[in-house]
Amino acid sequence: MNDSLAIETIGLTKKFGNFTAVDDVSLQIQRGEIFGFLGPNGAGKSTTIKSILDLIRPTTGECRVLGLDSRADAVEIRRHLGFLPADLALYPSLTGKQTLAYLGHLRGGVDWKWIDQLAERFDADLSKKISEYSSGNRQKVGLIQAFMHKPQVLILDEPITGLDPLVQLEFHTLMREHVSQGNTVFLSSHTISEVERVADRVGFIRRGHLIAVETMSELHDKALGRITLEFAEPVPASVFEGIEGVHEVTTEGPTVTAQYEGSMAPLLKVATEREVVSVSSASVDLDEIFLEFYRDEVQAADAAASDGGEGAAA
Amino acid sequence: MMLRSLYLKTVRDRWVSALIGVGSLFLIAWMVLAVYGGLDSEAVDVFESLPPAYLSLIGIPADSGSAGLAISMLFNFIGPFVIAGIAVSMGSAAIAGEERDGTMNLLATVPRSRSRILRSKTAGVLTIVVGMTTISWLSYLAAIAITGSDTGSLNLIAATVQVGAVAILYGSVALAIGAGTGNQALASGVAVAFIVVSFLGAGLLPLIDGWADWAKIFPWYYISGSQPLNNGVDWTQVAGLLGIAIILYVLAWWGFNRRDVQSGGARAPMLERLRSNPHLAKAFALLSGSGSVRSIASRAFTDLRALLVIAGFGVLFMGFVVGVMFPSISDSVGGLVDSMPESVLAMVGFADFSTATGWYFGEMLTILAPIAVSVVAISAGVALAGEEKNRTIGVLLGTPTSRNKVARGKAIAVIFGSVVVGFATFAGIALGNLAASLEMSYWNIAAAGLLLVGLGMVLGAAAFLGGALTGKTSVALGAGVGLAVLGWGMNSFLPINPDLANWAKISPFYYYSGENPLEEGMNWGHMGVLLAIAAVLTLVGILAYNRRDLRG
Repeated sequence: MNDSLAIETIGLTKKFGNFTAVDDVSLQIQRGEIFGFLGPNGAGKSTTIKSILDLIRPTTGECRVLGLDSRADAVEIRRHLGFLPADLALYPSLTGKQTLAYLGHLRGGVDWKWIDQLAERFDADLSKKISEYSSGNRQKVGLIQAFMHKPQVLILDEPITGLDPLVQLEFHTLMREHVSQGNTVFLSSHTISEVERVADRVGFIRRGHLIAVETMSELHDKALGRITLEFAEPVPASVFEGIEGVHEVTTEGPTVTAQYEGSMAPLLKVATEREVVSVSSASVDLDEIFLEFYRDEVQAADAAASDGGEGAAA
Repeated sequence: MMLRSLYLKTVRDRWVSALIGVGSLFLIAWMVLAVYGGLDSEAVDVFESLPPAYLSLIGIPADSGSAGLAISMLFNFIGPFVIAGIAVSMGSAAIAGEERDGTMNLLATVPRSRSRILRSKTAGVLTIVVGMTTISWLSYLAAIAITGSDTGSLNLIAATVQVGAVAILYGSVALAIGAGTGNQALASGVAVAFIVVSFLGAGLLPLIDGWADWAKIFPWYYISGSQPLNNGVDWTQVAGLLGIAIILYVLAWWGFNRRDVQSGGARAPMLERLRSNPHLAKAFALLSGSGSVRSIASRAFTDLRALLVIAGFGVLFMGFVVGVMFPSISDSVGGLVDSMPESVLAMVGFADFSTATGWYFGEMLTILAPIAVSVVAISAGVALAGEEKNRTIGVLLGTPTSRNKVARGKAIAVIFGSVVVGFATFAGIALGNLAASLEMSYWNIAAAGLLLVGLGMVLGAAAFLGGALTGKTSVALGAGVGLAVLGWGMNSFLPINPDLANWAKISPFYYYSGENPLEEGMNWGHMGVLLAIAAVLTLVGILAYNRRDLRG
């Protein structure tokens, strides 16, 4: 299993009754990368993860972790895997330390020095009972148990829920350290900024369909900017159409909003021919980039989902 | 001055479970009446030959026939347990349940006073309890009509009123503790313990010379103390019960208005103070602490420790007390039993209380010990589905642990839990035997303990299978409790009718107590049947658990 992919899904499909939560998803995640798995609520992120972990079984298709089959080799896979579930639940009557001891025993022992280091880095108090923790402190215990055995593959489902910004920062540092040692992180999130900050590649899932997988650098090249210009008097949208790199223009009285790709110089050149009162600009969210660049795929996914009947995705 | 929407929600949340409770009462009434009805005129003759002293002991008039015996069981035993049980569960959840779920934070911020919230909740609880009591009465009438039973001059309405008043009192105890502390577990625990202690006190104290009047301090006594089936409603008693309920309501109001609202589960300050006492801290850690984290099985087993301590010491204590009581009651009960023909004793399932083995069988082995072992074993069986309900299965199966191992660990806890209760039962009876010099065979006492282990394993395995198939704790609990109640009912009532007697063999209780192990000794065949059923249920459960999608 030395040179196999870290995680691979092959035509993964999961149906719950008539509802297709995940439809023919094929992913290849390399070793040593942070893979961001992005999509709105109910898109099929958690269903994909649960299939990889053998908590649920694919209707068709298969999942492999480190070259091992997710069903036949489930126990062997989990030896090399750390998992943080979304909406984490732990045993209320155990303290943080006992929780880690329990899960550690089930792993056949863990390095407590490393756990102490992790606890220190996350500023986690392990002496209290889980039932007495705030959700953020509980999440810290969840993160520690995922990292505590230095797993080759880490699957994290919405990991920063409830964490304060300082701890988030420490978590991101830890994640990069972990990957620099040749390990892999599969990071599922609907928080765009987090994925943007840490991921090497990003997969975008919508209504159970994998729309696209892009490297972060490609995405940055595609990155759309959004500029809002306020003029002294109303300007028709047609003035800005056809300018190089400009994607979409909307006007509201004297205010013009445009999305553009690459340099904003050509747009500004046209704009400054008139009296500009104010200018503001911002980058566009990742999911908007996906929606813009993969319009056809998104529409196909939406149409397929509507045909297959509606329901709640896991 | 009530909050209509809150009232309606309280009623809506519970009417289904209340109806299921009443529905099962109806089924039991039907079954019992059908069985007794099948005994025909011969039984009535026998019944009329019963000594009046016996009839008065069980609180039915002589002209009501064998159906009267069945009805008195419904009113004095199963009915009040079900109705008071639901009253307690609603009373404890009324205020404290909202706090445990964290929804009290929302409720307390609407512009309505806490008094009105309490009032509306209480009205909802009362509606369900009164409604349930009324419908249970109607369902008994229906069962009587369907089976064409003749209940003579029995005053069913009067008995219904007494049961309702007692249930309201128990519900008020739970409401007052829940509203006063915000701790739902404490409220339901204390109220249920109060019911059990009352039931035992009201039933056992009158058997001891000079102690009879002490039974009156227990609410349970007022269900049948004045024999309402014969004598009609004792309005003084009902007014007294309701008066105490009102005082408890005022206490609930006072407590709820002067304390902090809790969120996500509360601790009683008194318990906190006890917990911080270094002498008691160890005992508390044992009961409510964390338990073992060595392995799945040891963790599952130590999760049961609070139940094990209560159930284990319960049967140990009762086993001892029942034995010590025997010499003082054997004369009075013995004389009564001696005056009855043998065939009558067999028919009414009234164990021969004149012998120590019969006394133990009737007082200890037919009800108390099975309840203790089923509470422990069924909880252990439900725990498999609990990992899914509590959504901890994700983290658990994030470790290199197979589903097989998880399921096996939970199944082992069912076995160990049953063994502990079985051993405590053996030890309790053995102690009583020794203390009162009853001269029962210790081998036979051990046989009773062993068969109890077998029974617990079957009931726990049923809950385990229900959870393994569905991942739902409600299904698991339903499977375990359903098998326990139905099995107990079938084994208790079917043998009374010779035509149906053989059907009792499909009940696991038949193999546990179809014969009295204290007299007959160990029946390895029966033990084998119990173990085989438990093994099959568990294996099917493990297979199913390996095959399906996990929840949570």
